[in-house]
Amino acid sequence: MRILGIESSCDETAASVVEDGETVLSSVVASQMSTHGKYGGVVPELASREHLRAIVPVVREALEQAGTRLQDLDAIAATVGPGLVGSLLVGLTYAKSLCFARGLPLIAVNHIEGHIHAVVMESKRAGTPVEFPAMALVVSGGHTHLFEVREGFEYRLLGKTRDDAAGEAFDKVAKLLGFGYPGGPIIDRLAPHGDQSAVRFTFAKMKGNALDFSFSGLKTAVLRWVEAQDMESEIETRRAVRRDKPAPSIEEWLAVTPQRTLDLLASFQHAVIVELLTRARSAAEGMEARTVIVSGGVACNSGLRVAATSARFACPVYFPSPGLSTDNAAMIAAAAFPKLARREFASLDIAAEANLTLT
Amino acid sequence: MTQQIHRTASEAETIALGEQLARDLPARGVVLLIGNLGAGKTTLAKGIVHGLGAAPTDEVSSPTFTLIHEFGNGRVYHIDLYRLDELRELATLGLDEIFDRDALVLIEWGERFPRILPAERTEIRIRATGDDEREIEVTRLFEQTK
Repeated sequence: MRILGIESSCDETAASVVEDGETVLSSVVASQMSTHGKYGGVVPELASREHLRAIVPVVREALEQAGTRLQDLDAIAATVGPGLVGSLLVGLTYAKSLCFARGLPLIAVNHIEGHIHAVVMESKRAGTPVEFPAMALVVSGGHTHLFEVREGFEYRLLGKTRDDAAGEAFDKVAKLLGFGYPGGPIIDRLAPHGDQSAVRFTFAKMKGNALDFSFSGLKTAVLRWVEAQDMESEIETRRAVRRDKPAPSIEEWLAVTPQRTLDLLASFQHAVIVELLTRARSAAEGMEARTVIVSGGVACNSGLRVAATSARFACPVYFPSPGLSTDNAAMIAAAAFPKLARREFASLDIAAEANLTLT
Repeated sequence: MTQQIHRTASEAETIALGEQLARDLPARGVVLLIGNLGAGKTTLAKGIVHGLGAAPTDEVSSPTFTLIHEFGNGRVYHIDLYRLDELRELATLGLDEIFDRDALVLIEWGERFPRILPAERTEIRIRATGDDEREIEVTRLFEQTK
């Protein structure tokens, strides 16, 4: 059984062929394709027109790499939401057209469910399948959500961010310190060079759901700290480094980042990780989870991976491989397999839903 | 042009002010939320969206990554242009179509792209005057002032 997955909910145009819900035959992401020339120029990833340029070559590449023809497919899966409607429409409409032309069933997938299935698929393949109920932390530039995942893939939202997503906090702190946007991965690589206990960040107690996150206050606290330290000249130096070279190496960043700033980055990253893991653990305990899933772009953060492994979770904690942590289409195809088994097909007039929730 | 200045002393007061401002904002039109990182643009947006009855405050989170959030079946949009740098990138977002709808459109970091903004709009400037204190200035710009 083979499913072609198509993802275009935000920045990335992606396509993938997955076999039997566990083997990724191909996973192509437009911004990572080495052969940008195929559709002209570099890939600025934003919004619908860029998706429109990328969708045909990306799907073709995914089928080619998988050695799969359209007639070999059992279904086509596409992200229907949440995301930008204009962007979602590109992938969804292309999927519909292929389904119509080839008489294939269309399967509609929620982007966040896709992130969860990246881990479900990989752990199944590794011989250590996810056990239910599972607790999933989906954490990226746009999402910070905790879900209860029950047998049969039923979901219940346990908590989410009330302001900034965790990945956004990383990216904004990186930018305010002159590392450019997005800079989450740079902070992750610099943080081990600093002292995580150097700056104490405290989180305000929130009213309401104890499993909700808030990262806006932390971002503001970093800003206030930076303003109080007179760091303008080192920040300007880093901006200049970036103007000279679009993607400096970690060594080059270290050369223009004094110890107090490394300490700040380490302390900030530590604060985010503590916030994520404290609520994740209390969610997992509250529902007596048998597996914890951490997925989404921030799941690439090595500090988070190490901390989650040494944190005292009462059950195994699984992360996806880095390629399946950030937005991709293999996770969309993977999430479609249980729906294929249930013959849960979408009508060809299904609409993209910007605010789609996961239930 | 009309102008009012408000002061708040906590996040909760900023949300409450947003709810109050929502009553005076036009049902359709563009509202710029202007202020530094951490000034409270999204916090004020929570109040406005809630004040318009389009969504509870907890549903209003930062649109930085997702760019456009829609509330109340398209009555209110909350947009963030923070991570866009060029007009070319903006052109693919379809903002014109959103401006043409019967909707109130809140925009963070929109002042960086004056060319795309309608002349008739509301500008809300938020300044941090202390850890929690904010000064919020509301300016209505009309067509003839351009």
